[in-house]
Amino acid sequence: MTGEQEFRGIESGPLFDRTWHIDRVEGAAVQGLKDTSVEPLSEPLIEVPDDLKGNLVVTSVDALVNWGRKSALWPVTFGLACCAFEMIATAMGRFDIARFGMEAFRASPRQADLMIIAGTVTWKMAPAIQRIHEQMAEPKWVISMGVCATSGGPYFGSYSVVPGVDHIIPVDVYVPGCPPRPDALLFGVMELHEKIKKYHNLRPGSRNVPGGTLAAENP
Amino acid sequence: MPFQALTGEALADRLAEAVPDSVERADGDCVWVEPSQIAITAQFLRDDPGLDFQFLNAISAVDFIDSFDVVYHLTSFRQQHKGVVKARLHGRESLSLPSVYEVWRGADLQEREVWDLMGIRFEGHPNMKRIMLWEGFDGHPLRKDYL
Amino acid sequence: MNCVLAEDNILHGTPLLRWVYELAGLFLPCWLSYFIAGFVIMFILVNAVLLGAAVFVWTERRLVGRLQNRVGPNRWGPFGMFQPIADLLKLIVKEDLIPQGADKIAFVAAPIIMVATAILMLAVVPFAKNTALADLNVGVLYVLAVTSLTSVAILMAGWSSNNRYALFGAARGVAVLISYEVPVVLCLLGVVIVAGSMSLADVVTAQAVPFILVQPLAMFVFVAGTSAELNRTPFDVAEAESELIAGYHIEYSGIKFGLIQAAEFGGVVTASAVIATLFLSGWAGPASNYIGWLWLLIKIGVVAFLFIWIRATFPRLRIDQIMAFAWKFLMPLSFINLMAVSLEVYFLRDSSGALTTTDLWIMTVINLVVFAVCIPLFGSLIRDKVRPAQLQPTARATPGATVQQAGGEVT
Repeated sequence: MTGEQEFRGIESGPLFDRTWHIDRVEGAAVQGLKDTSVEPLSEPLIEVPDDLKGNLVVTSVDALVNWGRKSALWPVTFGLACCAFEMIATAMGRFDIARFGMEAFRASPRQADLMIIAGTVTWKMAPAIQRIHEQMAEPKWVISMGVCATSGGPYFGSYSVVPGVDHIIPVDVYVPGCPPRPDALLFGVMELHEKIKKYHNLRPGSRNVPGGTLAAENP
Repeated sequence: MPFQALTGEALADRLAEAVPDSVERADGDCVWVEPSQIAITAQFLRDDPGLDFQFLNAISAVDFIDSFDVVYHLTSFRQQHKGVVKARLHGRESLSLPSVYEVWRGADLQEREVWDLMGIRFEGHPNMKRIMLWEGFDGHPLRKDYL
Repeated sequence: MNCVLAEDNILHGTPLLRWVYELAGLFLPCWLSYFIAGFVIMFILVNAVLLGAAVFVWTERRLVGRLQNRVGPNRWGPFGMFQPIADLLKLIVKEDLIPQGADKIAFVAAPIIMVATAILMLAVVPFAKNTALADLNVGVLYVLAVTSLTSVAILMAGWSSNNRYALFGAARGVAVLISYEVPVVLCLLGVVIVAGSMSLADVVTAQAVPFILVQPLAMFVFVAGTSAELNRTPFDVAEAESELIAGYHIEYSGIKFGLIQAAEFGGVVTASAVIATLFLSGWAGPASNYIGWLWLLIKIGVVAFLFIWIRATFPRLRIDQIMAFAWKFLMPLSFINLMAVSLEVYFLRDSSGALTTTDLWIMTVINLVVFAVCIPLFGSLIRDKVRPAQLQPTARATPGATVQQAGGEVT
């Protein structure tokens, strides 16, 4: 019998004994994440350094690479709550996200570029989201879809809901709505395209900054 | 085809004969069962050929400040009727109730949810721990005195 | 100095190599010009397959879009034609992850082997009269040998990733590949018997009547089996998203994943080329002495369209259904085809062992009848095997009586 069981006075079966340790470790991780993630992370912004402005070769390569990145933005197959249905509707015939070359919803985060946080983020789900975000290969972008993911929405201040997914991972584009219509999500995707066009790729040291190329440079 | 809703009195009549001292009271909608007798009552409700409640729709709990009701919604597909059974627990601390997990396996997750959100423990449940919130969460958030 | 390829050289029958070799040999040493000729052929091969893969990716995405009542990629370039270029560009500049605990050598080698198998298959396909890049006299055997290398690459990818989903996917993929290898080989045996040669060039010239008509059963089994060997949708349990996340390539990112995709889609192009050569009479057609390559391209397009159509139409099968399909449906069909073709050739051939066009037409009629009988017959036999067991209907009292009974009467 573990100490916790004695404390609670429950005589329990082998299933409890087998899984109790896992649950406690998971609970500690969730609680730790909740206790430490009190401030939203800064949005990864774009800044063009002076010494690279007007450099024709670099900017041309940048334009080419950025065009490739924005034209083949593969989202990770990932839905949390009701917004996921609008995301699915975006991929269906009427709105058809495939027009942008984005119908390749990759199931493996290694192969995906874009994470659409579609729905309410609970604290118990937060470590999983953080882990999937870390598993994605650079460069990677995040769209926060709907008010729940953006700020907690109707669940703001709730005991179990993250007050905005930007508390745990950096977000590039916020799409308002409850849930946003597919048009709104498509508009968010196009805004992300505009953002990707401004990236500088060949600056030394810019590769290892998390959450997009230039997160740490933001004054 | 609509399911016929059995009245609390009808259920109480059946229960009073089969399980003595099990019925607290009954009204037109549901029957209140002695909390310590709930597992035996559930066994009877499931196995009796006239009642034949093979299916447990839901277990929920209601907070009345000084007491809690645990509500069992039952359905019989063969007899095409449904019924509601309740168990009233008095007080707010260290509440417990016999588990009906052995009668309806579907009670597994539902009882864990009631424990998680309302803080009512089910004795005899094989895996009585939180299901929606994480282990280490302080309190039971659907209680009326939470925040 | 003059270099001449020896008569007994295995590549002597390949005019392209001989021309380049002799041209370069005019002003270079022989060993160097031999290398140059080889590199020219490799250059053509690699670029043909990769370009074919790019075109096929675009076609597939547009066509699947249309078949699913969508638009498909249409933003980047005219009709979305630059979509594969954008994909490739993005994959090249994407971070290339090698997971901790992975077997690095096998992890890196697996995508390369996959691409190599897809490319190598095209080497023996004749593009026009006397224009195979390497006219091997054992071409059919070579195709089979190269195809079966894919299973090694898949197992390498799955095992070296240090990921249990990848290993599951690899095990499933290899199981499917090995199972479908058997009926496919048996079909090719029928083709070889009728053609009387294993060289693909001879197979084309032997098709006075296209073999799709002479052996419809073989064509059917071959297309189904190839579809499974390419891990395409009705048979793609190796990378089933809903079960295994991404299968054996779950840990691959960046250009390594791009290579795997190129191998997958390039494999369809090369498989289409092989099918067009074996069953649709390859480069043969009107004015084939001048535009044989065009006929081959058209036939490749037709077969590739068939593959896309199959993919857009059928949902994914379970692994047991796939195995049952291979062993209980395609296997007997390929045996029947082999037996029928063997008997027909035995009785129809003349004293020198050759078959005339009339003989082929007689075989066509007989085999079409066999086809029309066997497919429904074995279809009905397998139908009950692959369906889940029917639920037993439960006994249930009449509602009127039960309501009365439950209404409070104690028994």
